Amino acid sequence: MPLRLAAKWALIAPALALLLLLFITPIGWFIWESLTELGSLEEVWLETQAVLGSRAILGAILNTNGIALTVTVMVLVIGYPLSYALSRARGLAFSLVLLCIVIPYFTSVIVRTYAWMVILGRNGLINQILLGLGFVSEPVDLLYNRTGVIIGMTYVLLPYMVLTLYAAMKAVDQRLLQAAEGMGAKPMAVFAKVFLPLTLHGVTAGSLIVFILALGFFITPALMGGPGDIMMAMLIEREIELSHNWPVAALMTIVLLGITLALYALYGRVSDKAEGGFAR
Amino acid sequence: MRNDRLTLSPSRRRFLMLGGAALAAPYVIAGPARAAGQVIVRTPGGAYDDIMRRHVYEPFTKETGITVMPVAATVSKLLAMFRANNVELDLIDTGDGPLVTLGRMGALAPIDYGSWKWSKPEDVGADYRHDTRVANFVYSTVLAYNKTRFPEGQHPRSWADFWDAGKFPGPRMLADMASGQPDLEIALLADGVPRDKIYPIDIDRAFKSLSRIRPQIRKFWDTGALSAQMLSDQEVVMGSIWNGRLQTLIDKGAPLGFDWNENMIQVQALSVFKGSPNQANAQKLIDFMMQPEVQAKYSMDLQYGPTNQKAFGHVPAEHLTRMPGGPNSKQIGFMRDVSWWESNRERVNRQWSRWILG
Amino acid sequence: MSTSTSQGVRLEAVSKTYGSETVVRDISLTIPQGEFFTLLGPSGSGKTTTLSMIAGFTLPDGGRIHIDGKDATRAPPRDRGLGMVFQNYAIFPHLDVFGNVAFPLNVRKVPKPEVAKRVAGALEMVKLTSFEKRFARELSGGQQQRVALARAIVGHPPVVLMDEPLGALDKNLRYHMQVEIKEISRRLGMTVIYVTHDQEEALTMSDRIAIMNRGSIAQIGPPREVYERPGSAFVARFLGEANLIAAKREGGALRGAGGAWFEVASDRPQAAGGQVFVRPEKVSILPEGGAPSANQIAGTVRHTAFLGNVVRYEVTLPDGQIVLCDATNASGTVLRQPGEAVRLGWQRADALLLEA
Repeated sequence: MPLRLAAKWALIAPALALLLLLFITPIGWFIWESLTELGSLEEVWLETQAVLGSRAILGAILNTNGIALTVTVMVLVIGYPLSYALSRARGLAFSLVLLCIVIPYFTSVIVRTYAWMVILGRNGLINQILLGLGFVSEPVDLLYNRTGVIIGMTYVLLPYMVLTLYAAMKAVDQRLLQAAEGMGAKPMAVFAKVFLPLTLHGVTAGSLIVFILALGFFITPALMGGPGDIMMAMLIEREIELSHNWPVAALMTIVLLGITLALYALYGRVSDKAEGGFAR
Repeated sequence: MRNDRLTLSPSRRRFLMLGGAALAAPYVIAGPARAAGQVIVRTPGGAYDDIMRRHVYEPFTKETGITVMPVAATVSKLLAMFRANNVELDLIDTGDGPLVTLGRMGALAPIDYGSWKWSKPEDVGADYRHDTRVANFVYSTVLAYNKTRFPEGQHPRSWADFWDAGKFPGPRMLADMASGQPDLEIALLADGVPRDKIYPIDIDRAFKSLSRIRPQIRKFWDTGALSAQMLSDQEVVMGSIWNGRLQTLIDKGAPLGFDWNENMIQVQALSVFKGSPNQANAQKLIDFMMQPEVQAKYSMDLQYGPTNQKAFGHVPAEHLTRMPGGPNSKQIGFMRDVSWWESNRERVNRQWSRWILG
Repeated sequence: MSTSTSQGVRLEAVSKTYGSETVVRDISLTIPQGEFFTLLGPSGSGKTTTLSMIAGFTLPDGGRIHIDGKDATRAPPRDRGLGMVFQNYAIFPHLDVFGNVAFPLNVRKVPKPEVAKRVAGALEMVKLTSFEKRFARELSGGQQQRVALARAIVGHPPVVLMDEPLGALDKNLRYHMQVEIKEISRRLGMTVIYVTHDQEEALTMSDRIAIMNRGSIAQIGPPREVYERPGSAFVARFLGEANLIAAKREGGALRGAGGAWFEVASDRPQAAGGQVFVRPEKVSILPEGGAPSANQIAGTVRHTAFLGNVVRYEVTLPDGQIVLCDATNASGTVLRQPGEAVRLGWQRADALLLEA
């Protein structure tokens, strides 16, 4: 149906143009300008080899992916039941839960991160409780290490997962759940055989959003991480702010962007396959 | 730093021009400017602006009618502005490192010492006076410690003590590369290098020394705020910290102490951005800011040290002891060599990344 | 889930109130095993709520529900062992046809080979063999309906509930499905409780119909009985076109406008008057010049509608009432034109006196 296709494109075009202008053009220019600064293709190749061959960058890539993956799993584990509760809550309870999830967005990441530092520190709230109750005899290190990074990022990214899952869960036809129950399914079976499969696309979409956002984090790991918790964005920031070395920053950006796009392509294939099975 | 990176292709200029225009937009004042004009200053922002407004900007406006507009901008923004040939900032008030870099790029106008009428150039320490920049205060990186862990008299007195985890146990902090430069000088002092032999820094030796203390380092701090937070939260029992940040905590009653021994003096400086709209006003503001009485006032509030040597005469005796660059700090400390850092920062950055992730 | 010993469904004084509104009022019903029972009524009459209480999705505020001889008033839906066909089918979009039909068996942990056998049987019954691998979006409305039906009967439940199952289908398909559902229910000996607002569908399919109005059962009985012997004007009107002619009792006789008098098969001797009920197809146009007798009225044709097999006349009586007459389009029929004076008549056996 070419007419419908044309209409579709007409609807998408403004958004696409905006993205192109605001997002793709600057990145493209930045990369182009940075690399042409090197003068020749040979120079670019040499720098690329240096960047990709650097142990620091490989380490940061591993860190970045490892942290992003752990955070995604944590966010999912916490976010799924939370979203479910939210999708079921009504009236005041709904407003309260939603407020708790969204309100932190009104303050800056830095403020929120410092708040966590007060809670998680060696003399922070959690350690005082643990020590007070006698669960531990020495303060537990929850900050300035990988644990701190995971906690901080999980918190910051949770709303993205919750709001994505909430939308998916709200879209589930309640009559299908009722039908399953009527056909003899126990609550667990209703969940496992109907609700979960019907919200799976939300899980994939939410996880992807969280993972991709996590790849680009740098304030939270910088503040809450330990000496070795270096992520890609932190390296890129230092190349620009401290070394003023655009070419290397650009190459690192390409690496990060490449990982992100590869993941997105993977998601596209997976979701296409899944879409095949859905009525909507 | 490689010089070819600073010569720009025409297309790059155009691109940066767009960026520069966007960066400068918020600073352009709408409506007619006052007859006496204005001067736009890059500052670190926050509490710093309040102190400067009180002791410098407002008296300056009263005296001259010139309005002072403090704005925030990172070093890379300043670079981008210059590269885009779209300079809207008149005066830069920042660490002297970036000013050295901007100066080498030819981005800075000479300081017009000859035009000074409020201050005398010869009163400003020779270390602090340069062609394109003049220091407006100094601050020190000092060794701070928790007094409840290490009572007066039994506290670490040198960086060698800091490195001695057997005698002084507990988690520590040092500066991160992201703060601008890691504490390589301190690592060398701890390793036995005399104060006058630090520069040029033996980078490998410094990192080897850092490796020895690394297991004791809870975190390398990247901002002054974080370093203060970690000390006051008792996340660390000792660490390197800027004396002003530390003094604020002590004045609030935190059980913290420090030793001037081997303090590292660093410089904040002023430069006039070449080609900016209010050159003369910027020069006037520098002149005004360098007066002994003015420097004494803002230095005391900032907890830092003046660069006009006559300013010490306007500081009460009990306050002198806590001023970096004063008699307490200068003989037993050393000046950080900013030129070395501007030439070697990129190399150190690479090595830092390898070391921190290794 | 065995059919043979089942005892059907029994409701005792079941009520349901939402806030201040009573949607089901004191309903009592006994539906014997194997009966095709329809709850018929306009929207808001309480029929869907009644079905929902039988299914267990809604708990009654009063009364008891027995399914298969056991008190199921508060049992969860899954323990009631019912088959269900939902409005809009409720086909699981993430499962193919096989997965959908196998669902009730799988959640009850029926062994795999048995599942395959039963699903195949159910699909054969609804003529969907070879559709196992299709998903709902690849099926037409009628096919989805068949999947829903197969899924409802695959476990051989003694009782199947159907909530307006054919509402979304076009007329032609609807008729086919009516026949098929009826046929399958007969073959399996299931009790079917069927909810619809379509009176034709109810008349076609049911063994018995309960006509509901404002939360109560207005009348209950076999299709022909409720159609021809309505107990109230509401039932009379709801089940099709009905003539309700005003009558007064004068000297023991029921008199209408223009000197007409009526005799009815079922009178209400105590009442001072009422409405004489007679279906339009029971009314005929009398030939000219017959002797006046009971159940004859004179009027003027107001409108003539040629419907093919039937000609419908709207006739105005002297007092302004309108009577409908459906005349069979038999051979040689002469169409009466608007303005023509006609005499209408009907048999005593086809008329009732209803409350005014």
